[in-house]
Amino acid sequence: MLNHFPTIGTVLGLGLFLLSFVRKNDHLTKVSLEVFFIIGLATLPVFLSGVAAQAALKDSPGVSAEAIATHENAALLAFILIEITAAVAWLGLWQIRRLARPTRTNLATLLVLSVVTLAVMAWASNLGGDIRHPEILTGLYSTPTEGTAASGGGWLSTAAITSFVLEHPWVWPTSETLHFLGMSLMFGVLLIVNLRLLGMLKTMPFAAVHRLLPFGILGFAINFVTGMLFFIAAPEQYTENVSFHWKMILLELAGVNFLFLTVFDGAWSLAPGDEPSLADKIIAASALCLSVGVMYFGRMLPFIGNAF
Amino acid sequence: MNILSSLEGSSFSMWLLGSNSIWAYPTVLTLHTFGMMVLVGASAMLDLRLLGFGRGIPLDSLKTLFRVMWAAFYLNAVTGTMLFAADATKRGTSVIFLVKLLLVVSGVVTIVLIKREVYGKNPAPVTVSSTAKRLAIASLLVWSAAISTGRLLAYVT
Repeated sequence: MLNHFPTIGTVLGLGLFLLSFVRKNDHLTKVSLEVFFIIGLATLPVFLSGVAAQAALKDSPGVSAEAIATHENAALLAFILIEITAAVAWLGLWQIRRLARPTRTNLATLLVLSVVTLAVMAWASNLGGDIRHPEILTGLYSTPTEGTAASGGGWLSTAAITSFVLEHPWVWPTSETLHFLGMSLMFGVLLIVNLRLLGMLKTMPFAAVHRLLPFGILGFAINFVTGMLFFIAAPEQYTENVSFHWKMILLELAGVNFLFLTVFDGAWSLAPGDEPSLADKIIAASALCLSVGVMYFGRMLPFIGNAF
Repeated sequence: MNILSSLEGSSFSMWLLGSNSIWAYPTVLTLHTFGMMVLVGASAMLDLRLLGFGRGIPLDSLKTLFRVMWAAFYLNAVTGTMLFAADATKRGTSVIFLVKLLLVVSGVVTIVLIKREVYGKNPAPVTVSSTAKRLAIASLLVWSAAISTGRLLAYVT
């Protein structure tokens, strides 16, 4: 059932988004942006489990390896679009907090992106259905000469990414380096924002430090891209790795926490010298613990689990 | 090289690398990564503020970050020494390792210079001098390079 969530969620998000225009309701706009962001979070485990399922299914009888590869490449494109949509929606939420409403550019971009995403996703789901329901196929994948998994999908395919990462010896170390830089940037933002919420940098107005949140998203974007390169190139290191499972669980929770930091009203009104509420402090402490936890299980991938 | 090999042969080094315990090498390495993340992350926030991002953040409120950075630096000096001891003959003769050390020292120097430039004359400054901005750029570049060389050590034998 997990695999239907992104499609249903995007339909819901887009529906709310369109309705908010018709009704001219700013609150509804905000809710729809939050839905888009949550879908971005929820789609990550869907995609990861899809890659794991592909590894498990490709050799089983009765399923076409090519049907799987075609679905996987469509899913990869849908996944990338969903994540970009989520990032643009986050930017809109950040603007709502700062400027009371998102910019027109942001909303227009989001509208185009979400419509395109939905179309690609419907296509990917359709191809996914073909794998388990060969009776509805019309000889599409019957000829093995049609192309192998490696040739389907062009440069934006899991096969192309895998060979790019594994065939160039510089790609992995470079991505690891970027992953560490992105991590430091992201953690720096979380550190300063949450230290304020813990009451440690008290002379700082929260609204001023809120300004730095996009650098956190930038750090996350770097780590998202490099992390996906690792995962797609060598999924066997991660899919059965308990350290990776924990890392993803904590990452999801940290994502929800970050949404909270972006939009919620409690902290926003903290002026210089104000003592944060107990709820603020709990949220801040959990944000720091979660991000340290994500780092911990990432660093422990080879030791607790079996990576590398 | 004698010092290096006896360091590497010490019972501590043997334990650190040889033990299968999660509390040996994996934990020391993770603490080193944690210290790096805190030190470089905090320093990057200070640099970004000096470069004009988040202008609403009062400069004097960031002074607490220096204590955070020093704590992280001491953690990494200790864990870094432990990691070095375990692999002394390889690291002690590696050019990349020496370059990394040099970059870390330079990074610390930029932080000290920034503190002196920004807070030296006035404990609650309002404006940022162009020297401070140049130092902030230098700090970002030097720490990025230090992380890059540190990461490279894992791949170059």
